[in-house]
Amino acid sequence: MWAAFRSEMRKMWKRPATWVTLGLFGLITVADLFGEYRRARKDPDDPFFLPDAWSLILGEEVMVGFIFASVLVILLVAAEFSWRTARQNVIDGLSKTQWYWAKVLLVPLLSALFLALRAAIGGSFALAGTDLAAGAQWFGAAQLAALGGMFVTGLGFASLALFVAVAIRASGPAMAVWFAWFAFGERLVVGGLGALFEGWRPILKWAPIMTFNRLRDYIQYDSEAFRMAAERAVEQERPVPELEALGPAFAGSFLWIAALLVFGWLWYRKRDL
Amino acid sequence: MTSVPGTPIIQTFGLSKRYRKTTAVDEISFRVEPGQVFGFLGPNGAGKTTTIGLLLGIITPTGGRFELFGGGSASDLHAARRRIGATLETPNFYPYLSGRDNLRIVANVKRRDAAEIERVLDLVGLGRRAKHKFKAYSLGMKQRLALAATMLGDPELIILDEPANGLDPEGMREIREIIRGLGERGKTIFLSSHLLSEVERTCTHVAIIQNGRIIRQDSVADVTSHGVAGLRSADLEALAAAVGEYPAALWSDRRGDRVVAELDDGDLAALNAWLGARGIHLSHMALEARSLEDVFMEATGAAEGVSAEVGPGDAGSGSHQLGEVR
Ligand SMILES: Nc1ncnc2c1ncn2[C@@H]1O[C@H](COP(=O)(O)OP(=O)(O)OP(=O)(O)O)[C@@H](O)[C@H]1O
Ligand SMILES: [Mg+2]
Repeated sequence: MWAAFRSEMRKMWKRPATWVTLGLFGLITVADLFGEYRRARKDPDDPFFLPDAWSLILGEEVMVGFIFASVLVILLVAAEFSWRTARQNVIDGLSKTQWYWAKVLLVPLLSALFLALRAAIGGSFALAGTDLAAGAQWFGAAQLAALGGMFVTGLGFASLALFVAVAIRASGPAMAVWFAWFAFGERLVVGGLGALFEGWRPILKWAPIMTFNRLRDYIQYDSEAFRMAAERAVEQERPVPELEALGPAFAGSFLWIAALLVFGWLWYRKRDL
Repeated sequence: MTSVPGTPIIQTFGLSKRYRKTTAVDEISFRVEPGQVFGFLGPNGAGKTTTIGLLLGIITPTGGRFELFGGGSASDLHAARRRIGATLETPNFYPYLSGRDNLRIVANVKRRDAAEIERVLDLVGLGRRAKHKFKAYSLGMKQRLALAATMLGDPELIILDEPANGLDPEGMREIREIIRGLGERGKTIFLSSHLLSEVERTCTHVAIIQNGRIIRQDSVADVTSHGVAGLRSADLEALAAAVGEYPAALWSDRRGDRVVAELDDGDLAALNAWLGARGIHLSHMALEARSLEDVFMEATGAAEGVSAEVGPGDAGSGSHQLGEVR
């Protein structure tokens, strides 16, 4: 398994697609967060500093990183079927188990990488505007918890990507299916089933994307950010956010991740290479 | 798992693979002994690749079983694969990696150190192109890299699926030399091919497969040494009918103005006496030498049920069919 994973790393870092994906993501992230930094420099009333800036850094846009991570998982896994290297690896002596689970290790690795990249880029820009001498608590338990929760979201999306990649075995179609499910497929299915069977609605709320996304709301982890968001909502007469119980969301996400990885494994193992 | 002397390297027992519409491999049984260079010969679609895929564990059989190095359990087979170097169908490598980096991946999987990589690269004559990307290789270079990869780790059994595919005559000769060299060093080699000349020149043993069935299996020497008797007499009809009933005739066939038959014992005198006793007098009788090509045509032709149509210029029609196959 370790040898298989080492091969995996060598293949990944030599693959141009890895660098294209990382580079593109880096560029987008820098552009996005540098924009915040510059805006704050011009407008001292709306500063960009830590820890407050985390709600922006770890906001909605974290999803962009997970999309890139999932795309890269698909590219790294599905291509092995088109090139028939998935087959050759097994001929060369890797067991199917080793092959699959070495790929599974890409899921946490890439989810963490893309999340960390955004946190590091955003953190650096915001740190430049942070008065550290005043003893600002620029990173704490709340941020760690948020990063942990979002990491699980990333695991969820990347597991779904691995699953479609081994099920479909071709990068293009796998990406299309992944994206379709993420963008509208799940909503259509859940909406359709909910309309047909009203009794199912409480269960349908636990569809994979919805479950993963529950862990992606920064204010759920940071009480200060939550308070500010609630105040702003009252001022703007918008619905006030609610604190959710994250326990079930974590449990649901882990169940989905386990299910996706295990089904992927069974499907991969059953079919000829 | 060590091999006990006398244990076959590969042995299959009624191995089958059925797809929804086709039976790719139909209850084949064969054995490959240590040190043999075993040619697996058959036309396109005969089931060669499928058979190799079954042996390598990437295709699940629908019937029968097989043993590698004398072991047939799942763990035996997994252990056995570490003693095998194999390619299947096309050279399968990472296009964006150089030849050398591709071999590094293989060496890593086989848990071999990188020093061997240079040795096998030189052996197949790729040393100077090893830093170029695989996708920039010509087909012949890809085949060479595949051969180099199979030799990494100095495996006891080497399985090659159409190794000559895409090579120029010079390349074919080089590959043949390498395979012969491996054979001389006592390696067991199993190679599939649709090129008769290839098998005839490199192999010690041969199995001919068609439509998923093995229709002939022997040493190359035995297969080609069995002479065929060429016979002529005034009444060809009667001659053909009589030879058809001759107990020592493995098969017989009418070819233009003569009847040919392969004799189990090669004893022409006995055949002559037997025919004479049935009132058939021969005007011509000769032992004709055969190439593997003839054997192949006879065996596959008979299996197709077209042997009667093969005319006097059977060698010519043979190469024609091969031309298509190529
Ligand atoms: N995955 C598959 N699904 C359905 N049929 C298949 C599959 N793979 C092979 N076959 C069929 O099995 C038969 C044997 O194919 P195979 O590839 O083993 O032939 P081959 O002897 O290697 O031929 P070639 O010389 O062309 O490489 C063919 O009729 C082929 O169409
Ligand atoms: Mg083939």
